[in-house]
Amino acid sequence: MKGFLLTIISALLVILVLNVGYYKEWFQAKPLQYWTDFLKEKDDTLSIEGVMASRYGVAYTMSMRIKQVLEQKHVTNPVILFEPNSYLRDSLHLYPKIRVPEPAVFYYYTGLEGVWINSPDTGKASFLVRISSKGVGLDVIKTPEQRHQLLAFYKKYPPIL
Amino acid sequence: MPFLLFIFLFICYLVAGYGLLTIFKMQLKTAYMITLSLLLGIAVASFVPFLLQLFYIDLNPASIFGSLVLVALVLNIPTWRRIIKEGFPAVRRSFALKPFRILSYEVPYLLIFGFFTFVSIWRCYYLPPTSRDALSGPEAIAEFAVREHTMINSFFNIDLWTTNNQFKSPYLISLQMICKIAGFPFGQVWLSVVFVSFTVFLYHALKERLHPIIAGLLLLLFLMTPEMYAYTFMILYDYSNMIFFFLSLYFLFGYFKSGIRSHFYFAGLLMGIATYIRSETLALAVLFLPAILLSQRRNKDSLAKIVKANAFFFLPSFLGYYLTAQLWIKYYLPIHYDIGGLVNGHLSDWQPLFQRYSDIVTHLMASEFGIHLWGYILYFTAFLFVAEGIFVRRYSRDARNWLYAIFVLYLGVGALGFLLPMMNLNETTKRALFKLLPLAVLYLANNELLIRLSQRISRWEGTPSYLFAREPRPAPTPIAPTPAPAKGKTAPTVAKAAPASASRPSPKKRKK
Repeated sequence: MKGFLLTIISALLVILVLNVGYYKEWFQAKPLQYWTDFLKEKDDTLSIEGVMASRYGVAYTMSMRIKQVLEQKHVTNPVILFEPNSYLRDSLHLYPKIRVPEPAVFYYYTGLEGVWINSPDTGKASFLVRISSKGVGLDVIKTPEQRHQLLAFYKKYPPIL
Repeated sequence: MPFLLFIFLFICYLVAGYGLLTIFKMQLKTAYMITLSLLLGIAVASFVPFLLQLFYIDLNPASIFGSLVLVALVLNIPTWRRIIKEGFPAVRRSFALKPFRILSYEVPYLLIFGFFTFVSIWRCYYLPPTSRDALSGPEAIAEFAVREHTMINSFFNIDLWTTNNQFKSPYLISLQMICKIAGFPFGQVWLSVVFVSFTVFLYHALKERLHPIIAGLLLLLFLMTPEMYAYTFMILYDYSNMIFFFLSLYFLFGYFKSGIRSHFYFAGLLMGIATYIRSETLALAVLFLPAILLSQRRNKDSLAKIVKANAFFFLPSFLGYYLTAQLWIKYYLPIHYDIGGLVNGHLSDWQPLFQRYSDIVTHLMASEFGIHLWGYILYFTAFLFVAEGIFVRRYSRDARNWLYAIFVLYLGVGALGFLLPMMNLNETTKRALFKLLPLAVLYLANNELLIRLSQRISRWEGTPSYLFAREPRPAPTPIAPTPAPAKGKTAPTVAKAAPASASRPSPKKRKK
């Protein structure tokens, strides 16, 4: 009987903790949501890339699309210049919904080299990823002058993560 | 296939960790032996690919898995000798499972722990690493190391100015490599082994001092720490660092009570592992020197003995620091990292130091943001700390040890943030505070009010109240005769717990 009473108490304590203050909010938003996700995920047939796309979102999808396009064009050793995230924030108002990956993460996703506008390697940039509210474009940087113009334009937007 | 390899790895971890435990003559309860073996095995495994890389050995499945087996066997040379001498029962005793008994009132806790654990394991297995610090450093290096068979790979040829995560410990790189080679594309599954082992260890540690109903509640509060729970399925350094830091203190404080020297050196090894994972832990380790010296003074150790013992205690930490923060970065990585340049150039201006101490409390702890990070566990701890001061008017020696650890951590983390401004408040310092949580929980396990409550419940229930003695056993209870004490030491008094009726242990039972 005493054991039974203690069992009731421990069950009540668990219920209390799960329902008190911020714990309730967190438990429902995180562990319970994760459980709901699990029920879906256990049956899905996503490939590894599919799982990564659903986890990493737009930045990953965009990166892989860039890789696909460059592979189709048989471009060797491309270096991709990204617009600064602060430009997406201040000028396009797309950030943080859309943000470009930092070069290290871009390399992890794609195996391709990327640079940001204040990188020491911007001189090697051969493509520019141009983002707008309509979509993402990949422009070829044909001449050093064009590269300088682009860098001068984006200079006022300091790179942010 | 990956699951078979996972079982293979699991056995490697278990065997290697067990080997380390036997080298340190640790004879503990089965639950501790298994969980510590796994945790130590993971630590050993994290060192293997790194060591191979230091010798420029090709990192391929054969070299890595072969080395893991070899290391596990070499670490068990004392075990082999023991088997030859005493037969297999000698080893079997270490893992002797007593009749598994779950009390009915543990079931609600175990169900919710099981839920948290399952969700965490699934996310570890199913989802890729997410944290930016992993993706822009160790995870990416591990991914390309698997392809290129070296940790010094093409990742270092790209533009890395936005990150310094490539300079962090190879702990994550090694473990991620092992799991990826075993067929888990996102690695990470090792983290579940760490999480489950530590949770089981902590539950048993709490149950040694408190009634299961209170121990379960404390563990639930610990698990329901929102920020930390996320890192049970997102690889990064701080969760593992927290575990080894805590375990080190657990055995160090055990040594303070028992005087068992092997526990002291084992604590040193664990601190070394914590430092290997996060090099700045060295600074925190050094802050425990006063407590260690005090204990040695109480024991009336000679100066030569103190110097020798402390050298052995700190050696793993210095080694862990040197290997990752000096040797690896300076002599192996192809890009330069000026660690000296990271140090605050205005050390005479102490205002930022006090500001940091203030921010830790006001921003990270006692605020709405703090509740979102840690839940209510810190408030609960503070409340019981004050209540113990008011109603009991003293703190037991064990409680004082854990309070000292909390104070040292606060002091150390704040000072590190001042010395290294790149240790920002909202990320690095926040994660460094993970280490605070198990310390707080162990303080609560030694809180006199909770111990009295435990004793009342057990008396009412009719269970032996000595299970939750006021002055609990100094370290996980040995199941076999304790190892021979070092020369000049009296035999440790750890085999039996003090009876509940004794409000304080007899001075005669204490170490001199």
